[in-house]
Amino acid sequence: MDRRDFLATGAVSTAGVLFFPGNLLAKEAKMSNKKKLVQTLPYKMDGEWKEFELYIDIHTHEPAPGFKYHTLAFNDMIPGPEIRVNAGDKVRVKFINKTDLNHTIHWHGVYVPWRMDGVPFVTQLPVMPKNEFIYEFVAEPEGTHFYHCHWGTLMHMQAGMFGSLIVENPNDPIKKKFPYEREYTLVYSSHDTNYIREEMNGMLERMKQRSYLMKEGRFNSEQWAVFDNKEQFVSSMENGYQPPYVTNRRSNSDLPQANWFTVNGKSYPSTPYLFIKSGENIRIRLINAGAETHHLHLHGHDFWMVADDGVPLEHPFKRNTVPLTPGKTFDIIVEGTNRGIWTFHDHDTRKVTNNGLYPGGNLLALVYEDLPADELIISKHSGNPMYNSNAGMGDMKGMDAMKNENMGTMNKMMFGEDKLPKIALDE
Amino acid sequence: MKKLIYLSLLITGLANAQITPEFEIGAKGVFSGNLNFNSEESNAVSDFSDTQLLMGLSQKLYNNWRAQFVLGLQFPDANSNLGDVFYNNIFIRLEDKKNIVKVGRTIAQTNLNEFPTLRDDDAQQFTYALNPFSDGVNTERDQYANVLEYTHIFKQRFYVSLHGENFYDSREPDDFRLNSTGLTLMYRIPESQRWNRNVIQEVGFSYNNYFTDRQGYSNDFDASVKNLLFSTTLNLKPDPINFIDFRLQAIQNFGWDEVNMLNDYFDYTRTESSTVFGTFRYLKQKLERPHYQISIGGGYKSLPNLEVDSNQLLLIANGFYRIGENFDLGVQYRYTENSGFTENLFGKNEHRIQLAVVYSFSKIFNKQFGDREDLLNLEHNYIK
Repeated sequence: MDRRDFLATGAVSTAGVLFFPGNLLAKEAKMSNKKKLVQTLPYKMDGEWKEFELYIDIHTHEPAPGFKYHTLAFNDMIPGPEIRVNAGDKVRVKFINKTDLNHTIHWHGVYVPWRMDGVPFVTQLPVMPKNEFIYEFVAEPEGTHFYHCHWGTLMHMQAGMFGSLIVENPNDPIKKKFPYEREYTLVYSSHDTNYIREEMNGMLERMKQRSYLMKEGRFNSEQWAVFDNKEQFVSSMENGYQPPYVTNRRSNSDLPQANWFTVNGKSYPSTPYLFIKSGENIRIRLINAGAETHHLHLHGHDFWMVADDGVPLEHPFKRNTVPLTPGKTFDIIVEGTNRGIWTFHDHDTRKVTNNGLYPGGNLLALVYEDLPADELIISKHSGNPMYNSNAGMGDMKGMDAMKNENMGTMNKMMFGEDKLPKIALDE
Repeated sequence: MKKLIYLSLLITGLANAQITPEFEIGAKGVFSGNLNFNSEESNAVSDFSDTQLLMGLSQKLYNNWRAQFVLGLQFPDANSNLGDVFYNNIFIRLEDKKNIVKVGRTIAQTNLNEFPTLRDDDAQQFTYALNPFSDGVNTERDQYANVLEYTHIFKQRFYVSLHGENFYDSREPDDFRLNSTGLTLMYRIPESQRWNRNVIQEVGFSYNNYFTDRQGYSNDFDASVKNLLFSTTLNLKPDPINFIDFRLQAIQNFGWDEVNMLNDYFDYTRTESSTVFGTFRYLKQKLERPHYQISIGGGYKSLPNLEVDSNQLLLIANGFYRIGENFDLGVQYRYTENSGFTENLFGKNEHRIQLAVVYSFSKIFNKQFGDREDLLNLEHNYIK
């Protein structure tokens, strides 16, 4: 790590320590929270084309304080920046591959011309190391979509190569039905960080050799396991070639077993907050860019299901739990009807873990901005007489230790500040 | 009561242990039929010496260092006096990005190169600075020692190692004191980057000082056997399909002036000698895996301080063909020639032909963190 990287990391860490989550209702907390939300990708106009630039590089990512791993990231962030356009816009994305690996971009849910679909060897050749590719398409249909790498998808997607793509409709029927000012994009994913590390190392090593052979013109179909057609493949097998999946070349599979679960690339306690005010509607765009299903449940509210895979629902309906399966997007509207701090989490609690330890992963909170700070004080509103002398035990005979004047020290020792919420980590 | 609490805390601590280590297992099975000509050794139908099993348990420590416990065993030669099984590796290694500390029994830094021979000890007298405390009945006592090593790594490639050893002393087998110290300097390309280095893969020096009981010398340094090693590996054709390298190691044993005839192995290791050994290796890869390998090499050792002209010559050639993942068929021819005093000790000359099946395997289960030398850590920030 050079000096500049060190300083940058230091600054981010400091921000996390200062504003998370003690002063949740403070202005600084909201500023800090913005870093946990998806970042919109700026564009330039070239005639009638909106031009975006995405690059991919190897990145060191920290989903929760103290845990880092190497991963792939668009524009050095996970998820990649959000591309936000209007329906009908002409979109041009210049994709730069800075890595030594192959990649493509697939535009999930978008009606792109088939040669822009990003499937290697089906619609295009992979974007080779240090190469570029220009994707062009008209943004349609409207709705919540996403993009991801379609090369080595099993590894590249969970390694961080995904980002949201929002196609807005100026006459959005959802906005008309549920007027809102604020919206959030939440991109879910799951990661086997050990699988990512081992696969990336292996692929980097192989690709160095392959690139060398390609430059020398000595690379062939069998070395790459890529054939022009089935006849060529079968013919190779007849001449002794053995595909990599047969049992004399590969033993039982080491398929990924996710050990980290992220929302916008972060795991609890680094996950973002969703701010709302009483009487306000907020729109949340849910995207599952990972390979696990997330059963997302919001406490204290039912929310409106308003779009499925980007398609606005003619008849929105209410739910409080939604199964977000791999590749799926849902849009929901939350109405600010129940002031408080409410968790919004995966009800498959195996995914509310960090490296197998609960709590972690997909655990975040809906926070009412108009919540009086007074309500955060534990002792003031606690139903437990241990923390609230007004609840009864302080006046009981022999319970002098429970008197208000004696409780402060004990509670401070056990629970620190007399304020919610706190960061809880299992020990 | 206090004792009970401490005990309970200890037990709770054990029960709550959250670390299941990385588990590395390595195995090498060498099974050969040996045909000897003009040799005192008999032919062998099935020689499985040098077959070994290695187990390593690794985890991260609280301060970002890593620790590994290694236990390995080897099946030695039948007449080695080591029993059926020799525990060749029993050590703990502590390391971080730039430092390595090793304590326990393992291979000593008296060999700086890995030559492509069927067995590790096929050219032992040419490839190791030999243990001057050993009676020479087996080769393991030259290769392995109880070590205490500290290595510092500069810029990923420069290794400076200070090491002390307790080599097995055949005359005093219960003496476990430090009887050797040394310094090793190595420039070594990380494993994952070796195949495409233009010339130098590694180059190094090692100085070893054995605290021998030289009569008439009270000063430890003067009484010691000293030797200097130079080693290098050069890529002659760095290519992922047709790879050729050249390995060379030279050992200068400064010896004792007074040893001018060889009565036993002790004299052999304590007299002055100059040794050079080198191999050329061609490796053919197919589908990013070894396909076959051919190597040829030779060594020469002169012992200039002896009354009679005494030299040793070794020629070795072998080939291996991969018949499946981890399995190779091999054939090796070795010619040794001894003259002068070495003829009395080891015989005049010998031809040996070996046909072998070799199994080699190494895998880490329950992987949790990257290795220092993997490409991500080398080229994209080391993750502690």
